[in-house]
Amino acid sequence: MKKLALAGILAVGLTGCGSDDPQVLNLYNWSEYMPQEVLERFTEETGIQVVYTTYDSNEAMYARLKLLDESAAYDLAVPSTYYVSKMRQEDLLMPIDRSKIEGFDNLDPELVNLDIDPDNQYSVPYLWGTTGLAVDTSDVDGEVTAWADLWDERFEGRVMLTNDMREVFHVGLRVLGYSGNSTDPQEIEEAYEKLSELMPSVRTFNSDAPRMPYLEGEADVGMIWNGEAVMGKDTMPSLEYVYPEEGIIAWLDSFVIPKNAPNPEAAHQFINFVLQPEISALISEDIGYATPNLAGRDVLDDAVANDRSSYPSATDMINAEFQEDIGDDALQIYAKYWEMLKSGR
Amino acid sequence: MRSVMQQPFRTAVLVLVWGWLLFLVLTPNLLVIGASVMTRDPGTFISLPLNLDAYRQLFNPLYLDVFLNSLYMATMTTLICLLIGYPFAWALSKVPRHRQMLLIFLLIVPFWTNSLVRTYALKLILATNGLLNNALMSVGLIDQPMQMLYTEGAVIIGLVYLLLPFMILPLYAVFDDLREDLLRASHDLGAGRLATFVHIIVPMTLPGVLAGIMLVLLPAMGLFFVPDILGGSRNLLVGNVIKNQFLDARNWPFGAAASIMLTLAMAFLMFAHRLSKRRIGEDGV
Amino acid sequence: MTRWLPRTYLTLVYLLLYVPILVLVVFSFNDSRSGYAWGGLSLRWYEALFNNRAMVQAMWNSLWLALSAATVSTVIGALTALALHRYRFRGKQVLNGMLFVVMMSPEIVLAISLLGLFLLVGLQLGYVSLLLAHVTFCLPFVVITVMARLSGFDERLPEAARDLGASDFTMTRTVLIPVIMPALLAGWLLGFTLSLDDVVVSTFVGGPSYEILPLRIYSMVRVGLKPEVNALGTLLLVFSLVMLMLSQWILLRSKR
Repeated sequence: MKKLALAGILAVGLTGCGSDDPQVLNLYNWSEYMPQEVLERFTEETGIQVVYTTYDSNEAMYARLKLLDESAAYDLAVPSTYYVSKMRQEDLLMPIDRSKIEGFDNLDPELVNLDIDPDNQYSVPYLWGTTGLAVDTSDVDGEVTAWADLWDERFEGRVMLTNDMREVFHVGLRVLGYSGNSTDPQEIEEAYEKLSELMPSVRTFNSDAPRMPYLEGEADVGMIWNGEAVMGKDTMPSLEYVYPEEGIIAWLDSFVIPKNAPNPEAAHQFINFVLQPEISALISEDIGYATPNLAGRDVLDDAVANDRSSYPSATDMINAEFQEDIGDDALQIYAKYWEMLKSGR
Repeated sequence: MRSVMQQPFRTAVLVLVWGWLLFLVLTPNLLVIGASVMTRDPGTFISLPLNLDAYRQLFNPLYLDVFLNSLYMATMTTLICLLIGYPFAWALSKVPRHRQMLLIFLLIVPFWTNSLVRTYALKLILATNGLLNNALMSVGLIDQPMQMLYTEGAVIIGLVYLLLPFMILPLYAVFDDLREDLLRASHDLGAGRLATFVHIIVPMTLPGVLAGIMLVLLPAMGLFFVPDILGGSRNLLVGNVIKNQFLDARNWPFGAAASIMLTLAMAFLMFAHRLSKRRIGEDGV
Repeated sequence: MTRWLPRTYLTLVYLLLYVPILVLVVFSFNDSRSGYAWGGLSLRWYEALFNNRAMVQAMWNSLWLALSAATVSTVIGALTALALHRYRFRGKQVLNGMLFVVMMSPEIVLAISLLGLFLLVGLQLGYVSLLLAHVTFCLPFVVITVMARLSGFDERLPEAARDLGASDFTMTRTVLIPVIMPALLAGWLLGFTLSLDDVVVSTFVGGPSYEILPLRIYSMVRVGLKPEVNALGTLLLVFSLVMLMLSQWILLRSKR
């Protein structure tokens, strides 16, 4: 213990060029999920520096937040639907002071006051999106219309999956006709069996930037997030986003403030900043996901507002399923099979 | 009077060293052992009922597969390192002295460059649109790009590339010590090249071989970032599984048990290494 | 035949070792974004690198961490080596054993064990946790380097110093330290590089309050091809080459 104290003194003496800036916002977010411009404009307007750290799965984000719970590392995180309820129930979040968030009333009524967080006491929707099929039409002959098409022999070694346990199993479950939120061990095992048949075709898992394997020519077909598909199409026009017959996976990512956040004031300011119609529109235009901010949608560039990839039509949403919290027991079963799946050759 | 003067310095040094090692080496290792016999807890990571579930899980055929696969990857890596490194170290020991130093320096330089960056450079080379495919296609050796990135082969190449110097350096040390008189004696007694190799050179370089294996095999099972970058994020190594248990799945007892297995494997290798050294000591004279 | 075969072989292996590094350096000056095709000479990726505030901050953080970790581990490592060499005390074997365990245990095991410790004592993950972890894994290398130097050292010198009435501390400062100086330098340098390069341990014990370069690079590399990484890699290469040469020069000078 003495040594620790000594090292501590030493360390304090040695630091100095560390992070002693007066105002810092520690934002913990998905990779490539916030335009640089937004961060810069926020800093310009408020003088608060944004430290942007990234994760590539809800599990990693959750584990890290839990790990660093005591040490108060992050001010703002962006979990998906089902993790909002999980974290709220486990008392990991700080209530959001609505009086500091001006634009809240502009949010799509269908995306607030959900079961995951009644009355939005702990979360404010950031973006919503879908996970569907990506097809590189320059390399794929014929139609790809369903998740089940991925199992086609012609795609051997050319399939890309997101590195996301829930999403990949969602696909497996839907192909078998089950709900993507299944908690039935039998169904999950069947989905695992089905997915392990797909494994020889799988080239890579990627949730840091799912568009990249397509752009780099490593994969021709597979899963992708709609925003990534939109961004990818800018550089590779042959990349198409397809709504699979079994239904897309829909999700909503929300801002939450960890219970021990060192700077909740800045976190509120940031949420407020993002909810300005102009900023919401800028984000949606730049990274291709749909903004839940209706005022933002109004000022959206027409090309983006009419892009079916970003803003699906009612027919696109047939069979679509929102991801839900499935509880820790089911999650453990998923986790076990996920490990096995990813260890398969 | 001298002893009075020397006491405080001695005490201070010993307290500092002991303190550091007890606090940052012994305690953490005991913690891992402790965690491995506890129960997974979704809230607090680990909780009390002591049991051996984690170890049982380890020997579950499903997870055993992961270990065997990891062992396979690491063994292939080690074998390739040995195949490249053994003749390399031999050839190196034959080079004139003054040039040897320069060559060893050149061997170490890549090791001083960030390993992530080097792994990334391999990605540039192995990608479908990458340099190797482009080169092979432009000379007409292949007309379709080969799929090299995101395969087990790519991961093994990455591991070999990162770990090769660790195989070569201990091998070089034993070749450098190889006693010329024994070789000459063997030759004088009429032994052929092969016989000399099998009966003299191989046993005498065995400690180096084992040291090299030790320095390559175990790290090759732990370097999780190589499969992440070159293997398409598959769990090809035990290192990936351990990392996932701690940073994703939050099954600490299992992760701890897996890492204890790794440590035990290392201990076994070290034991073999010591044994071989002792044998050489007896036979060599 | 016996002459050119080993030479060709050596050349071939060196070629394989250096091709990826060469690719990295060449493509860091590539004007094209693709990373595979040559698009003309340009410094734009270096520019992009230095305009990235978070990146520059991570660079400074990493340098500072490596500097302090190398220094602390050299001091503690040298004292440990001296203690092991000079003093008789109980548990010497245990001490030796623990150092051996650190050096030999797989990095990932060290990483999780330290993470467990830091969580238990409630230490915030950041600079201090990184420093403690880095010093710990650098320590055995410094000890070994210094021990090697000490074992080839004439025992009569310290004896003479003591007989002349020098205290242990004075003797250490005036006789031993100069002798082990080259080893200290070598150990420091090794620690510096190990710290700057570490991914595995830092992934576990690092925190957002102190972001360091390897973790930053890791998240960049995982996203896909980023030409900035080439530029960064080239800079790191030049940096470590300069450090290596500098140390060689100092070592050679001190030998004379």
